[in-house]
Amino acid sequence: MSELAITLRLAWHVVVRNWTVYRKDFLANISPTLADPALMMMALGMGLSPFIGQIHGLSYAQYLAPGMIATTALFTAFFECSYGFYVRMTFESVFKAMLTTPIGVREVVIGEFLWVFIRAALMAMGVGLVLTVMGLMPNPFVLLLIPFIGGLLAVPCGAIGLLAASYVRNINQFQTVYSFLIAPIFYLSGVFFPLGDRPLLEAIVQISPFHHGVRLLQACVWGQWDLGEIAYHIAALLTFAAGLGWWALVSIRKKLIS
Amino acid sequence: MESSQEPASDPVTIIRARSVAKQFGDFTALEGLDLDVRIGECVGLLGPNGAGKSTFIGCLHGSVLRSGGNLEVFGLDPMSDARRIKERLGVVPQENALDEELTVLENMQIYARFEGVSREESAPRIDELLAHMSLDHKRDATIRMLSGGMKRRLAFVRALLSDPELLILDEPTTGLDPTVRHLLWEKVLSYRAAGKTVLVTTHYMHEAELLCDRIVILNRGALVGAGPPRDLIAEHAPGFVGTFAREDEEKLRGKVGDDALLYQQGWQTCVRAASIERLTQLQAATGTRALQLRPSNLEDVYLKLTGQDLGDNE
Repeated sequence: MSELAITLRLAWHVVVRNWTVYRKDFLANISPTLADPALMMMALGMGLSPFIGQIHGLSYAQYLAPGMIATTALFTAFFECSYGFYVRMTFESVFKAMLTTPIGVREVVIGEFLWVFIRAALMAMGVGLVLTVMGLMPNPFVLLLIPFIGGLLAVPCGAIGLLAASYVRNINQFQTVYSFLIAPIFYLSGVFFPLGDRPLLEAIVQISPFHHGVRLLQACVWGQWDLGEIAYHIAALLTFAAGLGWWALVSIRKKLIS
Repeated sequence: MESSQEPASDPVTIIRARSVAKQFGDFTALEGLDLDVRIGECVGLLGPNGAGKSTFIGCLHGSVLRSGGNLEVFGLDPMSDARRIKERLGVVPQENALDEELTVLENMQIYARFEGVSREESAPRIDELLAHMSLDHKRDATIRMLSGGMKRRLAFVRALLSDPELLILDEPTTGLDPTVRHLLWEKVLSYRAAGKTVLVTTHYMHEAELLCDRIVILNRGALVGAGPPRDLIAEHAPGFVGTFAREDEEKLRGKVGDDALLYQQGWQTCVRAASIERLTQLQAATGTRALQLRPSNLEDVYLKLTGQDLGDNE
């Protein structure tokens, strides 16, 4: 078997391990990632929509809908790879035993990315279905694309989580990462309001992988098939996934190998 | 300590370390360690906390990158071939690192997959090893429900899943009651009887003396003594030891003479002499009564070679 095939097989075993642990507390694990976007849709979408005029010909609920799919991918990936990975690494010492098996740091990190890709894809699909029921998905065939976009968006967001896990000195510092990095990314990347009339902000959020995921989902859900723009956002997401993913691998290796 | 003339591919030498060094910033964890472990041997690695035992074990399976020297495990360098080495060894780490929420069986199934053992092979192997460690009745219990001794036994099962050629045990019996310690050692012995190799760190000198073919004593990252336990005792602390209360020291000092050695060991005053008769004579001559008269043992060697050094315990 080639090195790559062995790495992927071992990384897949890490996914199976994570799934085996995850399903033990399935309801508690799945609740926040589904409940948060659902509550946001109710409070902001249904609650505020009647008071807000149309945005680009969309009601506010319609405007908000695709961002909710991106949100579930962001939070699924970030929390799993930050708090989740940190707890596994520091409190549960999972890797002290795992790394004595043929699994190495590369397989651990690739396994984490595969794991958040799959989880975010499924959660994005779940949110997509809820939105369909709420009548906010005009084209149901788009549901077929949503898991791929959600999964792709989860990789750079997970990489940010792993980087946080490798740089924090204790678990409380994740709060700082959340407040100064994740929350701004979440609130300012175009989920809640269009960035078109704020060119400076729009220029800044180009360095946020989340923004590209949001734009991609908005294009698909709203049916705005501008292929140039779609290609740009996919390329940006792939670049962030590769760049941040590599950086995360290097940083986690420094944590696990002394 | 060993002849370093064997070729690198020598199939009999499973671990071959030459001048292995590890530096963590300013701290020297290992300083030029030479060590050979041959097939079928049980080698005990002793030393105070912080002496470099776990660092060396980490170097063997690639979790620690050495700063200098040469190291081969199965003829491969752990810096470049860690995976191929890890396919052939089993480790019981200091921490059990079991998944607390999962059952005994689930934990073992996950690790069997990590080790590349197929599902068909792993099912009977897990059952056999659980029965062997008297854990078969806990197959479906979550780890949370197990006692400390059971978790430790399960960490042994996990290390043996792939039927490894080399078993590395990092303080396998620390904190366990004597019954479990005996059970675990019995399993190590039966594993060894099958021609396998064992490298073990422990603070239980008595166990190391009885069970290891060879002992390596580290202190502050350097090798301070190595050899079969009997030879180490004969070389560094031959004879018999009487341990006395501290207040007997003055009385003893006048009568010890040239053929016995008086020294302090913690709260005790000790006298070592060539024979037990010499010690009983000394008792009679000084009107003292030893707390204990015994043959010298590995602990005497250990305390002599590592001195009053408290290592990390300072």
